[in-house]
Amino acid sequence: METRVTVFSLKGRVGLVTGASRGIGRAVATELATAGARLALHARTLRPEFRDFARSLGPSPDSVQVFGGDLADPKAVHRLVRGVRRWSPRLDFVVANAGVFAGTPSTEVAESEWDTMLGVNLRGTFRTVRGVLPLLEGSRAPSVVLVSSILASRASPGGVAYQASKAAVEQMGRVLALEFAPRVRVNTVAPGFIRTDINRASHEDPVSRQHVEQATPLRRWGEPADIAPAVRFLLSDEASWITGAVLLVDGGLGLE
Amino acid sequence: MTEPGLLGGRVAVVTGASRGIGRATALALARAGADVVLHYRRDETSAREVAREIRAGGREAELVGSDVRSRHAMRELVRHARGWKGRLDIAVANAGIAEPGTLSAVDRDSWTRTLETNLVGPFELAQAAEVALRQSGGTFIATASTSGLIPSTQEIPYNAAKAGLVMLTRCLALAMAPQVRVNAVAPGWVATDMTRAEQADPESYRRIRSATPLGRWGRPEDIASAIVFLASDMARFVTGQVLVVDGGQSLHWRVDDPVQT
Repeated sequence: METRVTVFSLKGRVGLVTGASRGIGRAVATELATAGARLALHARTLRPEFRDFARSLGPSPDSVQVFGGDLADPKAVHRLVRGVRRWSPRLDFVVANAGVFAGTPSTEVAESEWDTMLGVNLRGTFRTVRGVLPLLEGSRAPSVVLVSSILASRASPGGVAYQASKAAVEQMGRVLALEFAPRVRVNTVAPGFIRTDINRASHEDPVSRQHVEQATPLRRWGEPADIAPAVRFLLSDEASWITGAVLLVDGGLGLE
Repeated sequence: MTEPGLLGGRVAVVTGASRGIGRATALALARAGADVVLHYRRDETSAREVAREIRAGGREAELVGSDVRSRHAMRELVRHARGWKGRLDIAVANAGIAEPGTLSAVDRDSWTRTLETNLVGPFELAQAAEVALRQSGGTFIATASTSGLIPSTQEIPYNAAKAGLVMLTRCLALAMAPQVRVNAVAPGWVATDMTRAEQADPESYRRIRSATPLGRWGRPEDIASAIVFLASDMARFVTGQVLVVDGGQSLHWRVDDPVQT
């Protein structure tokens, strides 16, 4: 037995992370690059800052490639998949992280909000995963991680479309896990309240910041870097008998 | 990523460490850098073998033989770890038993044995370890089971005890926060001595395999890896969770009662 072992390694793996320019997606990209993966990184818009971030991850220019596009648009997903295939004909994993948030009360929620939430969070996630499925065929141990939310299993006033879309993502994960087995594993990470741009208003407001801290058994907000290692674990060979699982990473918030 | 420090310098206790999932967990924790107190009930020979393997890998191991149903024994186990290294970082409540128990044929002693070993034992370990784990900012992990999430007709006390262990995990996560994270793994059908009958019967063996979406029985190492993850800083914001490690078995309803006893 060796004392120095490589654990939860993704060395030699190639993967796609959507929504990788900010927040959780960005932290996931950093973690997976550290674990040894080559990455296709997607963001809705390709800003110079995103390209700089991508460049900072790779040991070589070849190890990270960026792609843009709105995943609510089926054509954009086709372009994304085509672009990724040109870059790497084989993918070992995809982290379907891209998502949007709106917290409108149900009495005021517009049709367009439903379209956006379901279009990006649910259908965009599905399109992405199904689109790259042929690329996963070439992998020795293909794996998919979806990103839902604590608001998939715990309710909060406002944002009905967002919460319904994330609950649907979790069930989609279970269905895909069954359909794609035994070849492709599909698991879901459900983040709690994480300090990202999505909820900047909450964590910058002293009252609601403290409210979340008090309500969370671990007594703090989550950081994007708290979520990333859970994604890495589920993608790794060490998780090769895990599929259809939902892992809540919320500091215990959902317990209370 | 080479990480001698994933669990480097940490001290773990694992109950039921002589065989099966406990053995694999002790070995995996040691490979990740931890020194391990191996608890066993009867099988000292096997426990010694696990200790030998850990030492061969450059980590340290101690042996403690006792019964997890005893409060005194669990206190002594924690005392042993603290006396040994002055600290306790990881407590794995893994020891468990499974006995046949149907509606018409289950005796009161079997209920008592099963509940005391699988549910009260983990509680006693948590109570004994609380102070040490709070001091170290440590973590407590229980080996539950998908039997705690899905009913059966063949091992009713076992299902009930594991369901209790799932809820105990959540209660302990609240009670020991914020210093201590508490989680559980819920294994499906894993090839260990506990499932020897199902493995030995070709029909059961095949039925379980074909009802497993990932197409194979679980290995003790599959569960041990999940425990190493939960024990490590990689899971620093994970508490109160039950991580299902079952090859997808619990996603659908084709794996019930493979052995009609």
